[in-house]
Amino acid sequence: MTRRVRLWVLAAGLLATAALYAAACTQLPGFGGSWHPYGDRAVRAALQQRTANTVSSVNFDLRAFDTLGEESVLFASVLGTVVLLRRTRDEKRVAPEPVRVPAALRRYGRLMLPVTLLIGLYVIAHGQLSPGGGFQGGVVAATSLHLLYIAVDYPALERFRPLGLYELADGAGEAAYVLLGAAGLIAGSAYLANVLPLGTFNTLSSGGTVPLLNAAVGIEVTSAVVVLLAHFLAQALEIEGEREEDRSA
Amino acid sequence: MNWWLAAACVLVVGGLGPCLWGAARGTAGRRVVAQNMATLLLCLVFLLLAQGYGRPSYADLALVVAVLGPAGTLVFTRLLGDETGARPPGTRLLTPAVLIGAPATVVPMCIAAGPGRATIKLIFIGVLLIAGGAVTSWAVRRG
Amino acid sequence: MDDALVVAVLVLVAAAATAAVLQRDPARQAIVLSLLGLALAVLFTVLQAPDVGLAQLAVGSAVTPLMILLTVRKVRQRKGRPK
Repeated sequence: MTRRVRLWVLAAGLLATAALYAAACTQLPGFGGSWHPYGDRAVRAALQQRTANTVSSVNFDLRAFDTLGEESVLFASVLGTVVLLRRTRDEKRVAPEPVRVPAALRRYGRLMLPVTLLIGLYVIAHGQLSPGGGFQGGVVAATSLHLLYIAVDYPALERFRPLGLYELADGAGEAAYVLLGAAGLIAGSAYLANVLPLGTFNTLSSGGTVPLLNAAVGIEVTSAVVVLLAHFLAQALEIEGEREEDRSA
Repeated sequence: MNWWLAAACVLVVGGLGPCLWGAARGTAGRRVVAQNMATLLLCLVFLLLAQGYGRPSYADLALVVAVLGPAGTLVFTRLLGDETGARPPGTRLLTPAVLIGAPATVVPMCIAAGPGRATIKLIFIGVLLIAGGAVTSWAVRRG
Repeated sequence: MDDALVVAVLVLVAAAATAAVLQRDPARQAIVLSLLGLALAVLFTVLQAPDVGLAQLAVGSAVTPLMILLTVRKVRQRKGRPK
C-alpha cells in the first residue's frame, strides 16, 4: 500500500467513525434527565444480587469478564515495565546517596503508614457497599508503603518491601480472579457467574463473589503498583549505565 | 442547590481556581504550596459534597484525600529537592487555612450528622487533615 | 441551580488541562497534572460517579507524580553525566 492509499483508508475510517458517532449522539438521552435505561436495569440487577454499590455489581458481577480484561491489562503492562526497566548487563547498581530526612517527617511517615494501609484495606473491603473497591483501595495500600520512601528513606522502604513476594502476589491475585471465574463454570452455570450465597443486603459479606473478586483485584493492584514503583525507584536511584557513557564518549 | 453545595461551589471557584493559578506559574516552591493548598481544600470540598448530596459514603473520598494529599505534596518536596527553595511565597497561608477550614467544615457537619459512627469518621478525617496540613506546610517551609 | 457546580468544575478541569499542556518543564508539569487529577476527581463526584473519582484520586494524587518525578530524575542523570 502506498502512502496515498493509506491516507485515503485512514480518512474513510475517520469519516465513518465521525458519522456513526454523530448519529449515536443524536439519540443520547438529555443531560441530567430522569430517563436512565441502562442505569435502571443495572440498579435492579444489583439489588437482585444484594450488592449495595451498583458500580461494584456491574464491575464484578454483571460484567465481571470485562474487569478480568482490565486486570489483565494492568498485569501485562507491569510485566512489560519489569522487562523494560530491568538492570541490563552493562549497567551497575550503586548504593543511593543517603538523604537526611528530619525527625518530625519520619515520625509522620511511620505513623501514617499503618493508617493509610488501613484506609486502603477499608476501601477494598467495602467495595460492594460504598464507592471504592479493589483497584482504588489497592492503589491506596500501595501508596502507604511508599510513605517509607517519601517520608523516611529508601533503605527503610527496601527493608519492608520483599519484592519477590509482591511479584508472587501480583500473579496470585490475577490467578485468583481467573480461578474464581472457573468456580462459576464448575458450579454449572457460566464463567464468572455469581455462585456464592448472596448474604444480607448492605453488610460486608453481601454480594456473593463480589467481595472475593474485589479482594483478588486488591491484591493484584497493590502488588502491581508496588512492583511498578520498585522498578522506577531502582532505575532513578540505584542503576547507572556505564557502557553507554563509553559509547557516547 | 442547598447551602452545603453552594459552599462547595464557592470553595471550587474561590479556592481551587486560585490554587490552579498558583500551580501553573512561578517558582517550583510556589507551585508546591499551591498544590498542597489544593489538596487541603479538596478534602473540604468532598466533605461538603457528601453532605450536600446526602450521601455519607461520599466522605470516603475526603478520607482518601486526607492521607494521599499530603503524601503527594511530600513526593514533590522530596523529589524536587533544592528546586523548591525555603519559604516559598504563600506558605504562611497554609497553616491558618487548614486550622480554620477543617473545623469550620467538620463541626457543622458533625452537628448535622448527630452523634454516631458518621461523626467519628468526620472527626477522624478532620484530625488526619490537620495533621497532614501541619506536616506538609512545615515540609514546604523548610524547602 | 445544581448545574452551576457542574459548570464551575468543568471550567476548572478545562483550565487545568490547558495549563498542564502549556507547561514546558516536565517536573513543574507534574504539579499542574496533579491538580488536573484533583479537579477531575471533583468533576466525577459532581456527576455522581464517586467510584471513578476515587480511582482518579488514588492514582493521581501520589503515584503518578512519583512516577513522573522519578523518570525526570533518571533522564536528568543521563543528561548531566560528563561526556
